[in-house]
Amino acid sequence: MKETPRGTVSLVTGAQQGIGEVIARRLAAEGSLVAVNDRHDTELLSAVVESIQGVSAVADVADREQVARMVAGVEAEHGPVQTLVCNAAVEVLGTLLEQPPEVWWSHIDVNVTGTYNVIQEVLPGMRRNGGGRIVIIASIWGTTGWPRASGYSASKSGLIALTRSLGRELAPDNVFVNAIAPGIIDSPQIQIDADDAGISLDDMRARYAVDIPAGRLGTTEEIAATVAFLASAASGAFVGQILQPNGGELRGPA
Amino acid sequence: MERDARQDGRDGRSDGSRSAFVTGAASGIGAALVSTLTDRGWRVAGLDLQESAAELSVVGDVTDADGLLDAVQRAGQALGPPDLLVTAAGVFDQAAFEDITPAEFQRMLDIHLGGTVNACRAVLPGMLERRSGCIVAITSELALAGSERSAHYAAAKGAILGLVRSLAAEVAADGVRVNSVAPGPTRTPMLDRHPEYQDPAYAASLPLRRLVSPQEVAETVLFLATEGTFFTGQTLSPNAGAVI
Repeated sequence: MKETPRGTVSLVTGAQQGIGEVIARRLAAEGSLVAVNDRHDTELLSAVVESIQGVSAVADVADREQVARMVAGVEAEHGPVQTLVCNAAVEVLGTLLEQPPEVWWSHIDVNVTGTYNVIQEVLPGMRRNGGGRIVIIASIWGTTGWPRASGYSASKSGLIALTRSLGRELAPDNVFVNAIAPGIIDSPQIQIDADDAGISLDDMRARYAVDIPAGRLGTTEEIAATVAFLASAASGAFVGQILQPNGGELRGPA
Repeated sequence: MERDARQDGRDGRSDGSRSAFVTGAASGIGAALVSTLTDRGWRVAGLDLQESAAELSVVGDVTDADGLLDAVQRAGQALGPPDLLVTAAGVFDQAAFEDITPAEFQRMLDIHLGGTVNACRAVLPGMLERRSGCIVAITSELALAGSERSAHYAAAKGAILGLVRSLAAEVAADGVRVNSVAPGPTRTPMLDRHPEYQDPAYAASLPLRRLVSPQEVAETVLFLATEGTFFTGQTLSPNAGAVI
């Protein structure tokens, strides 16, 4: 029954580094042709594309016209996207009072509207193709909240509600929408958080690990494995669910 | 991609196999687990009130704590100590709350909550000693949202969620993960006896427009047991959209 997405086309947003990159690598390892999205045509992006024999898909997800061109380009060359992973996000830490409105809006524009943009552009092709899988990367902070992360947390909470609504809406059409709300993952973001806190990377990891019963941060591979599960036939009865690989930090509903 | 052996599920015996102990192994979700795990190279011991297809089939009752402990020890000797425990033994019944007798209510608690506790008690010392193990308790979508005429079943299944979340927090640092799977309405003999779930109008009311297959529940357990290594204290619910 376990079916890998061999021969399928996947699109992973925000995939030139971090969790997105590892997701792209995992889907490619399972045989999918992966369109690797990020905002700019950088050497980082080219290196990922080359190493997984994928295709470059440059667009700022917050820019609807860029997204439309990107999706049209992928479809014209390779056919409709069967697995879409909405991972692109911005995270800027700071107190609500000190953050100017444009920082607030960047969280909403990229994380929420960016996800909406990509899904709306991909969906017609997915439907024509008879169905597909959409995996949205949310966050534990979308449920628990976090100090100095109001904008980010609000955006991720929005993605959880989007997943639930769209899960209900699209399941009858054979499009399965689920989300992953990772806990603290050992990704490049931890260095950014360490710089923000003015401490070393190891101290930042240790500070986060205190709240994690498993006693460690998660790995990007563990998130990619969860995406692979949600992209496979093995998860065929999951509709609008929020999966929480978080080492036990939050042990209740998202 | 390089993968951790632990994530690939190959850290068991020297021949690479891992062992599992499944309660309620003779039918429905438990039987699907036995065949799925066996197909993927696991050595499986199954306990049920009747013989199961497991490599080691033990006839017993999950409410019998001593019998369960004995069965886990026998399984350990025959197949190696269990890397995975799945508690799938259960009974389903429907009745209006005022018609549920204290004995019927207690029976639900004894089988579901008590049976899960007994099984966890039997495998945990070994798992803690080996600093490795995975427990998956099968609960139900009814534990998440409840339903009419299901108070005793939903209460018993709901209690398992509290058990799983607490135990997960307690043993996480010792390398043991504890999660639950809360299936939606699943095509099993247990549900066949309840005509409302067989009504095509019921399936049509689900976002997925069909019931869950036992195989899909088994695949979810397998994911938790192999690659789901950062999941603990969680509830995964393959439920066809019944509870979102």
